[in-house]
Amino acid sequence: MSHQLPVILFLLPLFAAISMPLVCLKHRHWSFPVSVTILAAMVLVSVLNLYNVIQHGEVRYVFSGWAVPLGIEWIADGLASVILVFVSALGLLGVAFTRSTAPKELGGRIVHYYTLILLLISAMTGIVFARDFFNLFVFLEVAAIASYALIGVAGGRALFAAFRYLVLGTLGASLYLLGVSYLYAVTGTLNMSDMVERLPLLMSSKALVGGLLFMFIGLGIKMALVPFHAWMPEAYTYAPDSISPILASLTTKLALLAWVRITYWVFNSSMIIFNIPILLLVEVLGALAAVIGASLALAQRDIKMIFAYGGISHIGIILIGVGQGNQTGFAGGVFYLLNDAVMQAALFFLAAAASCHYGIKTIEDIGRVGKQAPWLTGSLIVIAMGMIGLPPTGGFFGKWYIILGALDAGNYLSVAAVILSTLLTLAYFVKLFESIFRHASTPSGVQFAEFPHSFKLTLGITSAAILILGLFSAPFVQFILNYALPPGF
Amino acid sequence: MVDAIVAILQRPNFLAFVIIFLWGFYIMVTRYNLVKKLIGMYLVQTSVIFFLVSISAKEGATVPILISTTEPVQVANYANPLPHVLTLTAIVVGVATTGVGLALCAAIYRKYGSLDEQAILEKLE
Repeated sequence: MSHQLPVILFLLPLFAAISMPLVCLKHRHWSFPVSVTILAAMVLVSVLNLYNVIQHGEVRYVFSGWAVPLGIEWIADGLASVILVFVSALGLLGVAFTRSTAPKELGGRIVHYYTLILLLISAMTGIVFARDFFNLFVFLEVAAIASYALIGVAGGRALFAAFRYLVLGTLGASLYLLGVSYLYAVTGTLNMSDMVERLPLLMSSKALVGGLLFMFIGLGIKMALVPFHAWMPEAYTYAPDSISPILASLTTKLALLAWVRITYWVFNSSMIIFNIPILLLVEVLGALAAVIGASLALAQRDIKMIFAYGGISHIGIILIGVGQGNQTGFAGGVFYLLNDAVMQAALFFLAAAASCHYGIKTIEDIGRVGKQAPWLTGSLIVIAMGMIGLPPTGGFFGKWYIILGALDAGNYLSVAAVILSTLLTLAYFVKLFESIFRHASTPSGVQFAEFPHSFKLTLGITSAAILILGLFSAPFVQFILNYALPPGF
Repeated sequence: MVDAIVAILQRPNFLAFVIIFLWGFYIMVTRYNLVKKLIGMYLVQTSVIFFLVSISAKEGATVPILISTTEPVQVANYANPLPHVLTLTAIVVGVATTGVGLALCAAIYRKYGSLDEQAILEKLE
């Protein structure tokens, strides 16, 4: 039974998504409790799966019994299992949050809205587990198509943002597929573990280098790496309030995870592209992303825009961590990835709660309301500590291990980039807090209704998670070092 | 240089792939009409599928169903089914993306009364 857990995790949201329009079309108010139940079950199964992986080692699942080079293989190892716990928990939190924030004008189509969210989460499960290049492509595309539709739901500017995302995202997917066909032409296999065995003889092949480069650009577009980030801030800013937390916290990070899988698990991180080691490329692009993303965030006035650009800079910091090529840096990068998923979710929950309840959109608005919104300001302080990287939040320990890894590897440029990006992050949060606390002496006369309990709950849980990840960072990092490192690392 | 040109001319299918890919990319970048952008996007997708088919083409091969179970299998006689399955899946993915893209275009047209990117951007300001 326990070796079926990965596929159960995938099938739960998929079956729920397929049966949702059948079951809930007559009783549309069922769609919310059904989705929450399914995702709660998914959280439970993902924790079971993590426990099982820790106890008995990684689980290899081969679909319909076809042996590995022919069939499609999924592997639930430590990294995949721990990320899946975060995916399902953040998915549950995000869906529970939609109850009060789902777009009102949807009416009966709310059923399809929940269908798309469940489809998105099941595709994300596939991205995490898939160990077959083409399988990975299909899940990336299913997740992307679901996100295009979900962003477009908001109407107005979101339609245009979704269209841009669609055009760029499809270009990225095509480049990824092109890279896959290069690798297939060279090695004759699509299975990752099978390819690992065939690669050593082919390492000098130019087609391999080209394929890897195309894959990197394709996944770079999907993970909003800096030269290719143009779609991301608009898409997440204008997306419906209820969906942007799920999208912002998970989609870009999972594309990054797919890239980490390919570089470390398949290419053994020693690949050289035109005399440039691949890890150096990753690290330099990460440093650029970390600094440029944070500087662009500093220039924004819309709070969701600030948070989206902050997400871009954090993708860069994760890449710096995994690009160091040593255990400390890798563990720091993965730990920061988990933290960043929680922090981005928390930021967009906060932005959504602010815009739904107080009508806050820009920095000036938040200054007007600040003092009357203790929950908002309080959780913003905790999240800001995490984003800047102050102890005792998870963000601090993630950056700490990344910097330690960079010092080990002697990459002082990366250390400088992390510190510069931290200072810029500090600057844009100071801008937010200055607006809140400077205007606090002149409260506006408007009285607001009681802050809804669902908002308090989501903000409380995510802020607590940021603190808990920091307070228990040592066991988390130890877990990553023990169970989630690439083979032979 | 001459060698390279000869090598390219001996592989007209790869040349065709590069031309279609860049053509689609050029349309995506330069055209302001959203439907034209979608057409460019579709050309890019199709060119990658074309590449996948052309690398797996085999002259004189037949469908991958064994003619005789007693004789040893002659690999050269059968086409490799895997790239064709990949192609089919990639086509399905492409159709789904184009469908969502056209739906977004229709919604944008209803909302802004235009499909021209610059006209829409002016209305957004």
